[in-house]
Amino acid sequence: MATKQVRYEALVKALHGDLYRYAYWLTYDKHIAEDLVQETFLRAWRALDSLKDEKAAKSWLITILRRENARRFERKRFDMSDYEEESIMDTESTSTEQTIENDWLRNKIAQLPAEYSEPLVLQVLGGYSGEDIASILNLNKNTVMTRLFRARNQLKDALEKEPNNIRLAHEK
Amino acid sequence: MKNSDTSEYMMDDLQFRRSIYADPSSVDEDILAAQKADPSKKKLAKDLCQFDEKLKQAMNVTVPDDLCNKLMLRQTFKSHQHNKRKKRIHMALAASVAIVVGVLVNYLQFSNSHIYNNLGDYALAHVYHEEGAFSNNDETRVSLTALNQKMTTFKGHFNSSLGELISADYCRFDGMKSLHLVFQGLTDTVAIFIVPKEKHLTFTDKFSDVNLHGESLSFKEANVLIVSNKEESLSQWQRAIRNNITWLI
Repeated sequence: MATKQVRYEALVKALHGDLYRYAYWLTYDKHIAEDLVQETFLRAWRALDSLKDEKAAKSWLITILRRENARRFERKRFDMSDYEEESIMDTESTSTEQTIENDWLRNKIAQLPAEYSEPLVLQVLGGYSGEDIASILNLNKNTVMTRLFRARNQLKDALEKEPNNIRLAHEK
Repeated sequence: MKNSDTSEYMMDDLQFRRSIYADPSSVDEDILAAQKADPSKKKLAKDLCQFDEKLKQAMNVTVPDDLCNKLMLRQTFKSHQHNKRKKRIHMALAASVAIVVGVLVNYLQFSNSHIYNNLGDYALAHVYHEEGAFSNNDETRVSLTALNQKMTTFKGHFNSSLGELISADYCRFDGMKSLHLVFQGLTDTVAIFIVPKEKHLTFTDKFSDVNLHGESLSFKEANVLIVSNKEESLSQWQRAIRNNITWLI
C-alpha cells in the first residue's frame, strides 16, 4: 500500500507537467486539460501494478490520456473549430515580444489538424523519436514522418504568409 | 538508396527538405552528410532547429501551480476513504463473528444441552460427570449459614444441617442455574440438586441405573433431586429435606 502511494506520488511529481501540456495541446482548453490529467492519474493509480518499467511511465501515461481524450469525444462530439481563440491564452511570463510571438505560434499550432499537431507536440515537447511517436500513436514510422513534415511545413508557410505579428514583434 | 559514401549526391533537395522538416535535429548519417556538403542545407537545418526552439517555447504552457497537489491530495483522500471503508468492513465482519460466537456459545451453554428429556437422566449424567471431583472422605465442610446464603437464590432455607456438607456450589443444571450440594453418605457422597422449575425437563420422581438411584421432590418453588449410590436410603434423605426446608415465598 505504502509502496504504491510512493510510486504514484513520484509519477505525479515527475510527469504531471508534461502530461498537462500534452493534454492542453490535445484539447486547447486549460480546464479540460486539467480534468483529463486528473482522470488519467486516477486510472493510472488503479492500473499502477501493470506498469513494470518506470522508464516507460511517460508513454504509458500518454497512452492512458489519449484513451481518456477519445472517450471524451465519444461522450460529446467535439468539433475542432469549436476552439476559441481566447482559450489559447498566454501563460508564460516572458517579454512582450516573446509573448506576441508565442501567442501567434500557439494559434497556428492550434489550427493545425490534430493528426499533424499531435506528433509535433510529442516530438518537440515530449522529445520522442519518430519510432516512439509511431508506437504511441499506433502508426507506422513513415506516416509519422510525413505528418511531422507537413506540420512544420504548414507552420513555416503560415509564418511566411502572415508575418505581420511577428515582424511587429521583432521590430519593437 | 542508402549508401553513406554517395549520399551527398543521392539525397536531392526535396528529399532533404522532407527529412529535415520531419526531424530538424536528426542525427541520421545521410542528413548530416548532406548538410556538410551543402551550406544552404545546413542553414535550413539550423533555421528549423531555431524554429523548433520557438515552437517548444510556445508549447510550453504554464502548468497550474496546484495541479500536482490536487493530484496527490485526491489520491491520498481516495485511498484513505478506501482504507476507512475497508476498516469499516473489517469491523463489521469482526462484530458479526463476535455475535455469532456469542450466540453459539450461549446456545451451546444454555439451550443446546437439552439433550435430556427428564430430570432424572440429567441428574445421573451430572453426577457421573463429576465423579471423582468429590470423595466421601473429603474434610472440607460448608456451614449452614453459607449454604443458606446460597439458598436465598431459590428463596429457600434449611433450618438445620442435613448432614456433613462437603460442597455447595451453583452449577448449570441443564442450562439452569442450580445449587449442587454434596453430602457425606454411608459409603459414597450423596448429591442434592436444587433446580428451578422448568418445563423442558419432565419431572421424574424416581430414577436409577446400575450404580445410582435418585428421587425428585417437587416443591412449589423448585425441584430438589437426590442422587446417591444404592447403599443409601433415599427416603431417609427425602424426609430430612422435607422437614428441614422452608420456602420464603
